[in-house]
Amino acid sequence: MNKKLALMAAASLVLGGLLVLGCGESRQPYAGNYRSLEPYAGKGHVELELKENGEATWKLAQEGMSVKFKWRVEDGQLWFYTKEGGIIHANPTEGGQKLTVDMTGQWHPSCPKEYCIIFQRVKGGGS
Amino acid sequence: MTQNNEQVEKLKLDQVGKEVCVPAGVRVVRQGEIPRHFYVVLSGKLKVYRETDDGIRTDLTVLGPGSYFGEVALVAGKPRTASVEALEESTLLEITKEEFERVLDQNPQLARQIIYSLSQWLVEGDKRLEQETVHQVKLRQISWFDYFLILGLSLVLALVFNLYNDNQIPLIHSVGDISGIEQVSLPQALELYKKKEAIFVDARKSNFYEQSHIKGSLNLPLLFFDLQYPMFQFMLEQEKVPPDEPLLVYGGTPSRRFDLELAELLKEKDHKVMVLSGDYQAWKKAFPLGGQPGKKVSAMPLGLAGYIEWLPVSIFLLILIPPVRRSPYLSVACRIVLGVIFVQFALSKIMRPAVFALNVVDYAMMPSWGVNLWALFLPWAELLAGLFLVLGIRTRAAATIIGGMNIIFIIGLVHVIMQGLPITCGCVGEAGEPVTWWKVLKNAGMLVMALQIFLYDRLFVLDRGGFIWRERKI
Repeated sequence: MNKKLALMAAASLVLGGLLVLGCGESRQPYAGNYRSLEPYAGKGHVELELKENGEATWKLAQEGMSVKFKWRVEDGQLWFYTKEGGIIHANPTEGGQKLTVDMTGQWHPSCPKEYCIIFQRVKGGGS
Repeated sequence: MTQNNEQVEKLKLDQVGKEVCVPAGVRVVRQGEIPRHFYVVLSGKLKVYRETDDGIRTDLTVLGPGSYFGEVALVAGKPRTASVEALEESTLLEITKEEFERVLDQNPQLARQIIYSLSQWLVEGDKRLEQETVHQVKLRQISWFDYFLILGLSLVLALVFNLYNDNQIPLIHSVGDISGIEQVSLPQALELYKKKEAIFVDARKSNFYEQSHIKGSLNLPLLFFDLQYPMFQFMLEQEKVPPDEPLLVYGGTPSRRFDLELAELLKEKDHKVMVLSGDYQAWKKAFPLGGQPGKKVSAMPLGLAGYIEWLPVSIFLLILIPPVRRSPYLSVACRIVLGVIFVQFALSKIMRPAVFALNVVDYAMMPSWGVNLWALFLPWAELLAGLFLVLGIRTRAAATIIGGMNIIFIIGLVHVIMQGLPITCGCVGEAGEPVTWWKVLKNAGMLVMALQIFLYDRLFVLDRGGFIWRERKI
């Protein structure tokens, strides 16, 4: 019986470890409000709010329309998940002051210029 | 035991043998050696066991004060049939072969006692043999119930989990109301293209668009419609497209009606919209094409998971060595490696089935009604089959299911390579890894591991008939 328990405990440890590995990193350093610099600046800019609980809002200032999605952090990179299952990768730069968002929906070593939106961090938001 | 103690006292009174002290861990008798002594346990505890040439042990019994051992080989005149090792510091009465024979001649009571013990051993041995035979037969039995258990439980868990999952998806993907959208045949679309009377919009993911698209078309992937629509409007403005210019959407696949759904969304934005009808692939032959055929997809490095995936290839090589191939210890190693890999596969998909559903769509092999069901069911089947392998429950059925999955994966991967589809594997992790022949080899390695488990697994299993910790060779 003890051997059975030992086996179960070992399996639980393995699975527990896998679960812990799968939890991702803290969102806190990147949570906050962002505003697009390129290519949408001025009136037609995009507002991005990343909340610490994993929810996020993408708001088009001109249309007043907002889209909700989810996000997480892995290896210092931000992953945005749309409701339809699309993934968008964002790379924080300048100590988290800027976000380079790759709109292709694919992972690239660096963001392709024609599909890139750069966001600047602004005050507020995140909680 | 009382009778045994009396016999021990008698042997002491007869001043037969000599007392020896044995520290814990010392082997007093070695299986296969020529017998020279008979032993009586005066104090302490000793373990009797048999060991095969390849080191597999079967524990037979534990002896305490009053017990004796070594008589079987002396009576039979054959080498020792088992080994005896002290579990704790023990004191033994060591009697030489000659003394033992003399005592037996002079002490019929002790002789009867030994005959009785030998008979007991024989009866117990028969029982053990029967139990083991039954167990081995049961281990090799697989029933439909095993498959029903794993697959049925996976389906139930998938459906229940989906009910409570924040990232819930519908069981069957459906396209909304498309009644008001004009369907355009290929010749009509060509006519519009030549006369430049419509803007062509590709609804597929950007990697598919980049590989091949109708020359001059714009890309608006359905998946990022809400996020990318402003970019699309910006592109229309750049192209100086009049607001009433019709948009002709194309780019469906057998797995999802990207084109119809995008057309519906564009219609909601007050665009005049048409959809290219008929064969999904027909436009590739009829229209002038743009894009970069054969462009490779960037794949995110997988880190640790990527290295773990190489283990099946190395085990695949081990399996080529005949004596190792049949080892039940190799089966245990295969079970743990394969189980952990499949649990890891599952955990990377379970939380966000919509992401995995899109990976399924990318393979363009599944009909649209089956995409979401497969995306919900597969990760749970991977998780349960992987867990069953690690824990040693219904391992043959679990190995069959995992082997079946590997065959499906191999077919999918070969299809992607042959078709040159610009997609990542989507096997582990959400970013996926490139689809290459190496990936096919890794899956082939896992398939061979599943086969090895199916054929030779019999150690450390929780199964019908109880728990086998050590193999007993019959």
